Amino acid sequence: MANRIFAAVLLVVTLGYAVIAFTAIKAPFQYDPLGPESWPRILSIVAILCLLVILWKPDDEAFDVTRKVWFRLTAAVAMLFGYAELYEPLGFILSTILFGTILSAMLGAPLLRALGFGVAAGVAGWLLCVTLMDLNLPEGELIAPLFETHQQGES
Amino acid sequence: MDTVLSGLATGFAVALDPFNLMLVMVGCFVGTLIGALPGLGPINGVAILLPIAYGLGFQPESALILLAGIYYGAEYGGRISSILLNVPGDAGAVMTTLDGNPMARAGQAGRALSLSAVASFAGGTFAVILMSLFAPALAGFAVTFGPADYVALMVFAFASLASLVGKSTVKTLLGATIGLMLATIGIDANTGVPRYTFGLPDILAGIDFLIVVVGLFGMAELLTLVEHQARGTLKSLPVDKSFVSMADLAATKWTIARASVIGFFIGILPGTGASVASAVAYGTEKRISDKDGTFGTGDPRGLAAPEAANNAAAGGSMVPMLTLGIPGSGTTAILLGALLMFNIQPGPMMFAQRPEVAWGLVASMYIGNVALLVINLPLVGLFARMLTIPQHYLTPLIAILAFIGIYTIVGNPHDLFMITGLGVFGWFLRKLDFSLAPIVLGFVLGGLFEDNLRRALSISGGDWSILVSNWKSLLLYALALLVVILPIWLGRRARANAVREAETH
Repeated sequence: MANRIFAAVLLVVTLGYAVIAFTAIKAPFQYDPLGPESWPRILSIVAILCLLVILWKPDDEAFDVTRKVWFRLTAAVAMLFGYAELYEPLGFILSTILFGTILSAMLGAPLLRALGFGVAAGVAGWLLCVTLMDLNLPEGELIAPLFETHQQGES
Repeated sequence: MDTVLSGLATGFAVALDPFNLMLVMVGCFVGTLIGALPGLGPINGVAILLPIAYGLGFQPESALILLAGIYYGAEYGGRISSILLNVPGDAGAVMTTLDGNPMARAGQAGRALSLSAVASFAGGTFAVILMSLFAPALAGFAVTFGPADYVALMVFAFASLASLVGKSTVKTLLGATIGLMLATIGIDANTGVPRYTFGLPDILAGIDFLIVVVGLFGMAELLTLVEHQARGTLKSLPVDKSFVSMADLAATKWTIARASVIGFFIGILPGTGASVASAVAYGTEKRISDKDGTFGTGDPRGLAAPEAANNAAAGGSMVPMLTLGIPGSGTTAILLGALLMFNIQPGPMMFAQRPEVAWGLVASMYIGNVALLVINLPLVGLFARMLTIPQHYLTPLIAILAFIGIYTIVGNPHDLFMITGLGVFGWFLRKLDFSLAPIVLGFVLGGLFEDNLRRALSISGGDWSILVSNWKSLLLYALALLVVILPIWLGRRARANAVREAETH
């Protein structure tokens, strides 16, 4: 069943892809026998054939995900989106502390240790990546002014 | 032969540069650490660390040496979790658990680990030697390939992928097609027409390769770890003081030799990597030497065969990647993408145009193999301790590493949403038994496939018969057909035999 639903969703997407390939993509002028539309057309036909085979004869597999696991997964994905959302505004250190603590706590780490892990990951990650390897990570809009005043105070 | 020797000289000059030498060591060490983490295989390790290696801004050859070291190290490290935990890091390590874990349970963990290290070393070194002999010759031959031959080569690659990888041929084919379709997003290089961009400026240049790889492998892996979290903790067996003896080596030397040959040649086949190689090597060895039925109960030969084979296959799968530009496995597809990011087109011309990259990589593999053996024998206890890292810290760590890697490329937070979205998609695919390697392979090869098809038809003025007009392409189509038909035929025959046996009994 899960196979069929998944294949059906993909089929809708692929049909959209095919419609665009057959109607919308056009080069204003071209010298080659194959334009930008031919390859997507071939691919869409192959994909549709594959999907039809799967719809016709799906493997009968149990999609054994309990409600509890669904909840965990949704929570994890929500946290990832939240982490991505806060990455620049809060900066690497704060957002990582937050994300590391909450996710490891949800996955069963004792609360204090989770906090320790989050803080360690945020601070050590920053020191390792920015100070040592010179990679580009967000300071954070909230933190940046602090850094600046600090630097001004030094200079 | 001369080209091989002078090439190797160039390569060692690059690889023995102190900085590159250090990178080989660091790569091997980090790779082994990653490989030893339970459930995190080479492909995920390389995928997660690739953007970081890219972000460091090294020379192409240095970055590639680092990545190859990680890849190699991860293949080595994978056996640690297979043996001590009975949890294979990836499909290539499944066979290692069959005899490796029983040995460890019988109190010979040290012996199993050191024997598998030696077997890996032998397989890996054998593959690198064959590779340095074969690759230039194959590259020399591949220079004569025209666009039509390349199209045939791609068809062959996808045919062997579809027939040998994954449980369902249709699903593998669909996966490869999804990869090819993802690769069409962005501006068409020949005509400048935007395709499937929907006016979004973020994807005008196409979806970044790193985003696809980190999303499909790294993030999907993370979600799988979250899913499995509820199902109890893993228990690691202790590493003891037992060690591989000369008698063990003497007993397994032919096993290792056979498995290395099998592994290397299966690795060369485009699309098939360590998983097929180790399975075939184990099966062969079982048929040849399992006279007392000890395989599966902790027979050293049953451990040595898949280990030698999967490391030989790791080397073998580099051959088509370096000489033809067609990766032999999912992980080499990622390395190929890494080369493309440095504006190096892998393929027959690479040995002539960028010898320092091609040969530097080959030489670094010689060094890497030795380094891995040296690192692994004394430090195995340290790596084994990685297994005790609780999953609830490991999981967030993967996300943090992936975010760092992706953010450092261009500093665009939209990419972070993209990898998460692709991760969800990848998790569904995995859950439904699609293998992810074909998608990456399709994505990496998409541009090359389309370009060659269009070029071939431009040459012929639109006449499709150019695709089958010379013996090289015809041979490749014949091989493609063979790869698809042979397993089906063998399967039928095996089933018929089984039925006949059942009837006689």
